[in-house]
Amino acid sequence: MIHIITAENRHLYRHALMEMHIQRKQVFIDDLGWPLNADSGIEIDAYDSEDAVYLIEADAPRAPVTASARLLRTDRPHLLGERFAHLCDGAPPSGPDVWEATRFCPAPGTPRGDARRSMLARMIAGIMETALIFGIQRVTFVANAALEPLALKVGWSASTLGPAHRAGRERVRAMAAEIDADGLRRVRVQNAILGPLTRFTPGDLVHAA
Amino acid sequence: MQARINWSFAEACDVSTSVEDVQTAFMREIRALGFSFAACASHVDPLRPPQGAVMMVDYPRRWLERFSAKRYAHRDPVYHTAKKQALPFQWSDLRFRSSLEPDQLRILDEAASLGLRDGFTIPIHSPGALPASCSLAIGHDGVDPLKVRQAHWYAVYAHESARRILLATTPPERPLLSKRERECLMLIAQGKDDYAVSVLLGISEHTAHNTIRRAMKKYSVSTRMQAFVRALRGGEIRLEDVAD
Repeated sequence: MIHIITAENRHLYRHALMEMHIQRKQVFIDDLGWPLNADSGIEIDAYDSEDAVYLIEADAPRAPVTASARLLRTDRPHLLGERFAHLCDGAPPSGPDVWEATRFCPAPGTPRGDARRSMLARMIAGIMETALIFGIQRVTFVANAALEPLALKVGWSASTLGPAHRAGRERVRAMAAEIDADGLRRVRVQNAILGPLTRFTPGDLVHAA
Repeated sequence: MQARINWSFAEACDVSTSVEDVQTAFMREIRALGFSFAACASHVDPLRPPQGAVMMVDYPRRWLERFSAKRYAHRDPVYHTAKKQALPFQWSDLRFRSSLEPDQLRILDEAASLGLRDGFTIPIHSPGALPASCSLAIGHDGVDPLKVRQAHWYAVYAHESARRILLATTPPERPLLSKRERECLMLIAQGKDDYAVSVLLGISEHTAHNTIRRAMKKYSVSTRMQAFVRALRGGEIRLEDVAD
């Protein structure tokens, strides 16, 4: 299942969040060579904060993390607005009903091919479920050449925001997807996802238990 | 923001006249961040430290006895890795673990069985000092990753303060850094990277990078956090410079 982690309940997920940051270092820096900062031993940047919403896939709050992603409000500092605005033909979509999805991270060792495609489909379903709960209508993201075709055919209505650009060793493109119930249904049907994947555990309930 | 300058901690360290006082201030902050055990120490036998060694250790007693009796200071994989690299590492990092010999993995297993299951080690390379590092253990309740950078600067600051007391040195009076170098280091301590520093200061990324390198060189240190701590301890970064 995919756990929705916000400022309200992140104290229940300290181990999972720490594992996510170490996986991000392994995947993005050690394996992919992205020029990110890990000068405190984990990959964590200025956009990681209590305001970010994290999606972490794990069987239980203390079980191993199998995938993660980060969602940022676009009415606050975010990557597309500050660092990748040049990828958009117009102004990067932003506002209270737009989120940005970043740091799609399969756990190190996730096999290539079907396992990764299915992880991505589950994460996209999870993003849509979460966005619907929070009243979000669009989600923007920057896709590399591997993510772009998958994001275009996973089932949601996705479109490109501008031409592809070179970033380091990769070609990346800004994209946006519409969030609606029909899109979520299509993502589920096309990817054999039988029902909701996300769970939100409110902070206080578990404390009382 | 991922780290703030804790002025009362800095002052408590600065006015300390014994390493024990620094240790008390350090352990209080580290526990407040959620870490379960901490050892900010030179890489020596913890129960028989030589003269000049930093030894601020709040680790399970049984582990220290075992470490000393088995002379693990020579084989401990955490010490070995800390000696070779400048940046902090987490004990569960595959890159760290995959470089180890079987007997070194056994040392980690033994430590885990005595309550040191996971955590971070911050290598501390300081000219003229014994090799040292600060290890911070994560207990059952976990530690919020947003606190890691804060712990990093407490560790470097505490070690610097202990060294000052052991060597009875005083920070230089004359300012070493340019205004631009000071500004860069303050932003670095907050977790900004070269790009963010360049945007905030209206300079190129290249200039930001080189300015930070220059400050590190002035202090002969190997990490950005150490350069920040030196600047803070030397009075180059003052309370009035920072809108906290």
